[in-house]
Amino acid sequence: MGIQTPNGFNLDNSGKRIVVDPVTRIEGHMRVEVNVDKDNVIRNAVSTGTMWRGIEVILKGRDPRDAWAFTERICGVCTGTHALTSVRAVENALDIKIPENANTIRNIMQLTLQVHDHVVHFYHLHALDWVDVVSALSADPKATSALAQSISSWPLSSPGYFKDLQTRLKKFVESGQLGPFKNGYWGHPAYKLPPEANLMAVAHYLEALDFQKDMVKIHTIYGGKNPHPNWLVGGVPCSINVDGVGAVGAINMERLNLVSSIIDRMVEFTEQVYLPDLQAIASFYKDWLYGGGLSSKSVMSYGDIPEHANDYTAASLKMPRGVILNGNLAEVLPIDLADPNQVQEFVTHSWYKYPDETKGLHPWDGVTEPNYVLGPKAKGTKTNIEALDEEAKYSWIKSPRWKGNAVEVGPLARYIIGYAQKKPEFKEPVDKLLTDLGVPVTALFSTLGRTAARALECQWAARQLRYFQDKLMASIKAGDTATANVDKWKPETWPKEVKGVGFTEAPRGALGHWIKIKDGKIDNYQAVVPTTWNGSPRDPKGGIGAFEASLLDTPMADPNQPLEIIRTLHSFDPCLACSTH
Amino acid sequence: MSADLETFYEVIRRQGITRRSFTKFCSLTAASLGLGAGAATEMAQALETKPRVPVIWMHGLECTCCSESFIRSAHPLVKDVILSMISLDYDDTIMAAAGHQAEAILQETREKYKGKYILAVEGNPPLNEGGMFCIDGGRPFVEKLKEMAEDAFAVIAWGACASWGCVQAAKPNPTQATPIDKVIKNKPIIKVPGCPPIAEVMTGVVTYVTTFGKLPELDRQGRPKMFYSQRIHDKCYRRPHFDAGQFVEEWDDEGAKKGHCLYKMGCKGPTTYNACSTVRWNGGVSFPIQSGHGCIGCSEEGFWDKGSFYDRLTGINVFGIEANADKVGATVAGVVAAGVAAHAAVTAVKRIVKKPENVG
Amino acid sequence: MTQIAQVQGVLDASGERARSLQTIYVYEAPVRLWHWVNALAITALCVTGYFIGSPLPSLPGEASQHFLMGYIRFTHFAAGQTLIVFFLLRLYWAFVGNKFSRQLSYLPVWNKTWLWGIFYEFKWYMFLVKDPKKYIGHNPLAHVAMFSFMLFLLFMMASGMALYSEGLGIDSWQHRLFGFMFTLFPNSQDLHTWHHLGMWAIVVFVIVHVYAAVREDILSRQSMISSMVSGERLFRDDLPD
Ligand code: HEM
Ligand code: HEM
Ligand code: NFV
Ligand code: SF4
Ligand code: SF4
Ligand code: F3S
Ligand SMILES: [Mg+2]
Repeated sequence: MGIQTPNGFNLDNSGKRIVVDPVTRIEGHMRVEVNVDKDNVIRNAVSTGTMWRGIEVILKGRDPRDAWAFTERICGVCTGTHALTSVRAVENALDIKIPENANTIRNIMQLTLQVHDHVVHFYHLHALDWVDVVSALSADPKATSALAQSISSWPLSSPGYFKDLQTRLKKFVESGQLGPFKNGYWGHPAYKLPPEANLMAVAHYLEALDFQKDMVKIHTIYGGKNPHPNWLVGGVPCSINVDGVGAVGAINMERLNLVSSIIDRMVEFTEQVYLPDLQAIASFYKDWLYGGGLSSKSVMSYGDIPEHANDYTAASLKMPRGVILNGNLAEVLPIDLADPNQVQEFVTHSWYKYPDETKGLHPWDGVTEPNYVLGPKAKGTKTNIEALDEEAKYSWIKSPRWKGNAVEVGPLARYIIGYAQKKPEFKEPVDKLLTDLGVPVTALFSTLGRTAARALECQWAARQLRYFQDKLMASIKAGDTATANVDKWKPETWPKEVKGVGFTEAPRGALGHWIKIKDGKIDNYQAVVPTTWNGSPRDPKGGIGAFEASLLDTPMADPNQPLEIIRTLHSFDPCLACSTH
Repeated sequence: MSADLETFYEVIRRQGITRRSFTKFCSLTAASLGLGAGAATEMAQALETKPRVPVIWMHGLECTCCSESFIRSAHPLVKDVILSMISLDYDDTIMAAAGHQAEAILQETREKYKGKYILAVEGNPPLNEGGMFCIDGGRPFVEKLKEMAEDAFAVIAWGACASWGCVQAAKPNPTQATPIDKVIKNKPIIKVPGCPPIAEVMTGVVTYVTTFGKLPELDRQGRPKMFYSQRIHDKCYRRPHFDAGQFVEEWDDEGAKKGHCLYKMGCKGPTTYNACSTVRWNGGVSFPIQSGHGCIGCSEEGFWDKGSFYDRLTGINVFGIEANADKVGATVAGVVAAGVAAHAAVTAVKRIVKKPENVG
Repeated sequence: MTQIAQVQGVLDASGERARSLQTIYVYEAPVRLWHWVNALAITALCVTGYFIGSPLPSLPGEASQHFLMGYIRFTHFAAGQTLIVFFLLRLYWAFVGNKFSRQLSYLPVWNKTWLWGIFYEFKWYMFLVKDPKKYIGHNPLAHVAMFSFMLFLLFMMASGMALYSEGLGIDSWQHRLFGFMFTLFPNSQDLHTWHHLGMWAIVVFVIVHVYAAVREDILSRQSMISSMVSGERLFRDDLPD
């Protein structure tokens, strides 16, 4: 039977049910169920977060200065973004002002994460949805070289280079031990790249794998390690000392040079490898424009990368901020994270308990109390689920809504908002890409659009890295080396009861942490995370989230091989540990 | 393992690596593991005669940063580990297959490589709610974990999660997240703790097992001695400042800029066994202390529940009030001293009021 | 009054009786020597231990000029080893010394007179009875305190040696002997905490102990401090109980 959701989608669960569990090449545990009609077109989609750890519960009663470390462990893939959001929330609650350098270094950390996460996502989590590894075996290395050189000046592009790689790949495949490529969907009709493009992509899969480990050294320098660098309420833990006694053990010239050289390589890699690859792949898939889902209707971005320390207003934020509802690109609505009526979380379809589940709760008043129950129409047992009942509770993810609306978050959302705000940094690269590919602007609202926005953003972030590293150098040159403010370090200096909110734009989208502090301890802590928004189950009114919306109306070549499903899901870069926390 | 499978050496040769660089690789690896010259030959021999060891990498409740750390390995490069040293047949984070195509690999491995594959576990199983705080293929993760452990040759517990429980097992541990050695009882388990562990430590442990075909020597807590036998503090380059009595007293103060010891900032280096101050992180670039923050003890059991990361002493809960050993101790000593004083006063008063008759 | 309350004279486990101004040789020289070395070592351990936990303000200049923490810790370890060596000697003496040398190694819980004595001495300290009883060795309450102190001391020595073995390395004999503490406390941070708390327990004991020794010296019917110096216990009256 067909139903119409309040946010404008048609659902029909009468056809054959297909289950994909585990959804792989994502972070964490996820399940998806879809119904396909007789033509194998997806008519209903049910996405489920299948893990929960209770980090919000665990945070209660702890020292707010420690919260960054706990929340950082929400996710090791978007490592650091939760920590940054957390220290911002605590600083907001306690009205702590951080030094300018600390803001700059935090931006560098956050932008490094953006570049790293986007590159790893594109090559190691998403590429195999577009790239057929086995087809690469039949590529002509010379033609591959010609292709590579026609799109980029990247030096690793000789026929010999590709031939060598192909030989190694051949032997690997012939060994019979396919490792992570085992049981892939090789030869599936939804793969459209010619063998040469496949071979080039495989080469870059390996190059990206080598390079990503160097990118994160920026985190190591300023934060001591990666994954999970260290942070500090009131600033950053590293001290700057370029020419004094003991400089050798602080942020000194050698450290700054190392950061700088890595940034150069990041700019190079995004411009000469990532973007050309994206464009090359996109040119073969521009007819496959499914998966837009919510993106053409409602998108949201909190904004991030403050130019000025302690100024988190839209004017200071270099990433766009605002909400677009119902496809009205003419109006970007302002966001107030402290407003009890804007961000709210619902649990009608989530495995949690609220006193009144018809209502949403603003995160300051948020409640996280697990309640695992299956609906009457579920198939199987409580510990052996065959099919879920989406009319009841069906996910460990809560349903966040902005003024009651489901919204999509992430790079595509940020680019749509930046585009709507006519910010040249965001609009121009989009227009150029669209022109190059010869597709209309509506092509943006698709799986491919999401993947493209991420690539553009990666390049943007790499350039911003250059900007902020230069800014740091200028500041040091001007004699400012402060990195931490300790005025309110001691809990004795804190008010008895306060609350605060911190936000960032994580690689996957808008991230907020809300904290209440009482008597120096955490009284309540709530995180509303990008994948919570995108992966959310239905709300009380039946509005569906971005994952579910994006799968609708996609035709499957072979319902037994869920390539189209995972391709679209991957375009969001789902992070399930994040989503449920 | 069936005879038609290629050996590590064959694979590596097929990939265009020369005999010479293969030997060099063996001696470098042996050296980085702190093993003698003979070990390199032994390793080379092992690699020449064995097919790549299948590895099944499962994920429970976790944040995936152990995987993220693993792919940061510089020596060996992780692409070489995956393409040439092991056969990573199942890892939900990076594998091409999904759904039942992925699940099928688990069954196939159990049958084809019974007793021969390594089970690597990242994260841990929750036991509450019938295990359904972590659902995998519609079933509790813990069940799948036990099934796969059944036929494994050995088990590697990655990170603080699999080894100790980590953040989700911090109080009040709402899901009853449980370290894997509490549910896998019949297999040897190598714990490689850290949140996450250092990349080269992870690949070092894997290559040790695959090349020597045996488990590394473990310490009392089940950790490989080669990486976990000394504390951060024992090898910390700030140690001279500790011995001298020169500390960072406040964030970003003079001491911080000069690289003084972080003990007073709560550094847990003195109680943390890990390789950070020697191997260091991300290709040896730095480690937490070098970048100005104290060690938070991330490779130690239950490090989340020892009070604030910025306190030198463990927090103790006395009757629901949080305090540290000095506060508790000084309070008790103060009360006792006051009691003694009061007792002395009463004694004196009594002596004055009534002269005891029978004291000589 | 109970049956036991009517028991005359001394109330220690052996039920001996002493006359006025009689002196009995109680604490043999090794015991006295141990006592005062112990007192000194523990004082040093408490002071240095405290500063290991909460170090003094930082020193200026280069690290190579100073070794303050090093000296503090060295003093702690030296005092700790001294404590242990003398403890072992004292242990030996408990076998070969007089019966009073064995008193703090056991509690005669099976002895009703002794149990009653704990109660009685408690009342004496609570000002509920006029006079204490006379004892050649420790009074039963002090006996309990001494015994518990020895348990604490054992814990301090075992935990201290375990912590010390961390610096010596896990293949040291110290770690082989005392590493079991890390089975009890797998995260050595906990062992630090308990070792640190142990210090406060010992501080509490010392406060009470020194006060009691001085007070008993003045108020009780027998000598105290001088006994720990000369070894001889002097009884000051000849009353029956
Ligand atoms: C760190 C300090 C001290 C410690 C750990 C300590 C410990 C002990 C112990 C274990 C005993 C029992 C000896 C035995 O039965 O073999 C004892 C007895 C005694 N201590 Fe101390 N002591 C300390 C300081 C002092 C001081 C400062 C005084 C004197 C002012 C003192 C006076 C005595 C006396 C008088 C006895 C004998 C009690 C009796 O006869 O029942 N102690 N002490
Ligand atoms: C009455 C006996 C003792 C007292 C009161 C005492 C007190 C202390 C205290 C307060 C600490 C600081 C703990 C912390 O905050 O981390 C400490 C540390 C230590 N103690 Fe003791 N201790 C005693 C006996 C011993 C003994 C017998 C040894 C064995 C050699 C010992 C070895 C150590 C070691 C190795 C440390 C750690 C030093 C460091 O971390 O740098 N202690 N002690
Ligand atoms: N969703 C999510 Fe994250 C991100 N990006 C965080 O906030 O990945 Ni784990
Ligand atoms: S041990 Fe730490 S880093 Fe590894 S998965 Fe667990 S939380 Fe993440
Ligand atoms: S910084 Fe930490 S590990 Fe290093 S010497 Fe100081 S206390 Fe030890
Ligand atoms: S916090 Fe962890 S990373 Fe190393 S320095 Fe400490 S063990
Ligand atoms: Mg939440």
